[in-house]
Amino acid sequence: MITGRGLGVAGRGLLLSLAILLPNTTYGQDAPNGSRAPRAVAIRGATVLTMAGPALRNATVLIRNGKIAGVGTNLTIPSDASVVEASGKYVMPGLIDAMTYFGIDAQDLAEAADPITPELRIIDAYDPTGMGFVSGAGPLRASELLIGGVTAQYVGPGDATIVSGQGAVVKTAGPNLSSITVKEPAAMDMSVGSGPTKTFRAKNRTPNTHPAVMSLLRQSLIRAEEYDRAWQLYNSRPDSAKSRATPPKRDPGMDALVKVLHRQMPARIQANTVTDIRGAMHLAEEFNFLLIINGGAQAYQMKDELAAKKIPVVLGPISHPFISGDEIPDLKEYPAPDERNAGWLRQAGVPIAIASYSHGLGGLAQPVTGKWLLIDASLAAGYGLPDDEVLRAITLYPAQILGVADRLGSIETGKDADVIVLDGPPLSIKTWVESVYVGGELVYQRGAGNAVLAGEPKR
Amino acid sequence: MITRRSTFLLLLVPALASTPALARAQASPASPSVIALRGGTIHTAVGPVITNGVVIIRDGKIAEVGSGVAIPAGARVIDLSGKEIIPGMVDNHSHIGAAPEDLNEQAVSFGPQHRMVDALNPDDRGWKPAADAGVTTVVTGTGSGEVSSGEAAVVKTYGADFQKRILKEVGGLKIAMGRKGPNRPPSTSPAVTAGLRAMFIHAREYMDSWNRWDAGGKQGPPPPRDLGMETVARVLRHEDYVRAHVHAASDIMALLKLKDEFGFDLALHHATEAYKVADEIARRHVDVVGMPLFVRIGMKEDIMRSPYTLWKAGVTYAFHTDDPVVQSKWFRYCGAMAIRYGLPEEEALKGLTINAAKIARVSDRVGSIERGKDADIVVLDGPWYETKTRVDYVYVDGALAYDRGREGK
Repeated sequence: MITGRGLGVAGRGLLLSLAILLPNTTYGQDAPNGSRAPRAVAIRGATVLTMAGPALRNATVLIRNGKIAGVGTNLTIPSDASVVEASGKYVMPGLIDAMTYFGIDAQDLAEAADPITPELRIIDAYDPTGMGFVSGAGPLRASELLIGGVTAQYVGPGDATIVSGQGAVVKTAGPNLSSITVKEPAAMDMSVGSGPTKTFRAKNRTPNTHPAVMSLLRQSLIRAEEYDRAWQLYNSRPDSAKSRATPPKRDPGMDALVKVLHRQMPARIQANTVTDIRGAMHLAEEFNFLLIINGGAQAYQMKDELAAKKIPVVLGPISHPFISGDEIPDLKEYPAPDERNAGWLRQAGVPIAIASYSHGLGGLAQPVTGKWLLIDASLAAGYGLPDDEVLRAITLYPAQILGVADRLGSIETGKDADVIVLDGPPLSIKTWVESVYVGGELVYQRGAGNAVLAGEPKR
Repeated sequence: MITRRSTFLLLLVPALASTPALARAQASPASPSVIALRGGTIHTAVGPVITNGVVIIRDGKIAEVGSGVAIPAGARVIDLSGKEIIPGMVDNHSHIGAAPEDLNEQAVSFGPQHRMVDALNPDDRGWKPAADAGVTTVVTGTGSGEVSSGEAAVVKTYGADFQKRILKEVGGLKIAMGRKGPNRPPSTSPAVTAGLRAMFIHAREYMDSWNRWDAGGKQGPPPPRDLGMETVARVLRHEDYVRAHVHAASDIMALLKLKDEFGFDLALHHATEAYKVADEIARRHVDVVGMPLFVRIGMKEDIMRSPYTLWKAGVTYAFHTDDPVVQSKWFRYCGAMAIRYGLPEEEALKGLTINAAKIARVSDRVGSIERGKDADIVVLDGPWYETKTRVDYVYVDGALAYDRGREGK
């Protein structure tokens, strides 16, 4: 998924190298001791929850050049490594918030002039210098998210239209926009729920109803199939014939939908009710695309069907599953929630992630609920989701669902060194994220007492 | 905080139409009138923790609580070894129990005469989730769409006899600081404050006119009665108090100056920026019912820390959900978040129970596990503040209002 906008792996590596060579502009300059970050860091003595296997007591995580270089209980710490003592603490992968609108101006969330806009790419509106991010010169840091240990998030267009555009997976800290972009585009965001009907009812335009939403979406996918066939036909002609024929008209939206039809990019369809989930599953079957259900408040009622087809569900918050841009969602648009949803889905074998769906909530509140991702997810532990599964639902599983598990989601040799250190068991409300490493760099450290952050401007 | 009108509560009512029948069955006289809760760790909210304690419930009241309490013959003994016991919680600011359309009389800016109790629906779908979560008493009130939207009610969330559930029909006069919107006067904060000042002045004049009539031997026709002014007069006579929706520090200061001028009792609600003026609040003995802290709303760290800041300053602090902003079932985690941000555990529990009851002026009945109080008791399977901990049983007036095992949850 390397694009003109995201520099991809090669570009990122180059930027990190530059960061090391140029201390005045680096990312590592903000390490608490003011020096540039060492090339190797060993976090020693903690309970390491790798997410890839059982908990390791009194273990070491070795970081080198931004990657996990080793993890285990009998690791030899290289002489050039800077040692971080972490006995009594817990180390786990940085959290991944699999669905947010964080970093997008609310006005950029819905191009409501048209219900079908697959050509839009959220990265074009992503502003990692505003909102909860530290603004001004220097490295990018989503301070408000780092407090909660979130090191990567999926950011998508809003749910106000049927096909709202392409989302991206980004890190919450890094030297610049290119380097924090992990995958773009990562998925096509769609909604067959109440978002589009509400939007267009207010405009007195179609779609007003769920059947109209479904038929418009089906029609767009058929159009994309026709578009794809037209291009295939054109491309299959010999060059001599091509020069005489008029090529089909290029349409970036159709190009993007064709990627979905070719299973090169999943479609994430927001669907909370059984009706909407069923509708989305039928479409996925009809057009053979990779489906991810967003929201899934009633997904437990479809758990066996979802499991059989291995369709992942990116759940809304356990505490407030009404994923809505409204300050107070209109509950008639949402099914009655059941906190046991996550547990039931896992038990049935449905891949799940628990996400914050962070929205700006108006003037009162900062547009940040992602920092409570861990606390919110921990509720599920009281409702039948095993403790280790709660943690996987905000680390490894979202990485897998988002297609970035080759780099993120667990503490395994070769993966990005995005790790967090906690001062107690992760599921206790008293536990704090003490420090956060992204790409091996210390990007956040909790200050003494309850003070904000070392090295962070006080806002 | 509620100004937006929606209809979701109404629409879901039919789904729970059987609730009252269930409630009656659970409160039936078949249960013995003396119950002994034995073996749990008791957090009374007013004293030290009692381990391996006993609570004796007689006729819906707490007859005895302690560690060496004898269990009366014939009592129904419930073994709660390994469980944690806290008082039934008191949510000091909620909007459950009424149709959302009834929360704001948007057509007027001043409606102190309006009473939430007149909108309460015994079959509302909001009661049960609150009771099931251990929120046994709520101060449920009108919204913030008007400068003064009327009187809250203090109500239990469970019980067969709705009239008996009501602790206070008239329980706190709601006012709402801050502009009401560009197209709706008063559209600036100073105009809101000026409107309130005028309201209090009119109430004083109203009281004076009655006093003059009384002093004159009640000769001639009495002054015309005014329901709104009677409500404000009760506040000025300290028979009632003001619950003020307020966010900005500037609005808090404006309110405190109004209090200095007119001398009413005051609780600040939401009080987002109260931490900035904690000393000003504390020295006037004004109470704070602070922002719902549990995760739906992302708030700045200073706001998250404000329960600690205000407690340190000496303010009586209580929590609220503002349901539906935060659902009642997550009420106890508002207190848990305050612990996370430095408030001692026992102070956080007070904010969920006795402090909330005191501010609502119902602490003679609810808010702690003490002899003589209503037997409103919550039993949990672990520390009350941990997210993994579940409520196992809830008693309201000694009746088992919730039994997790029975509900299959």
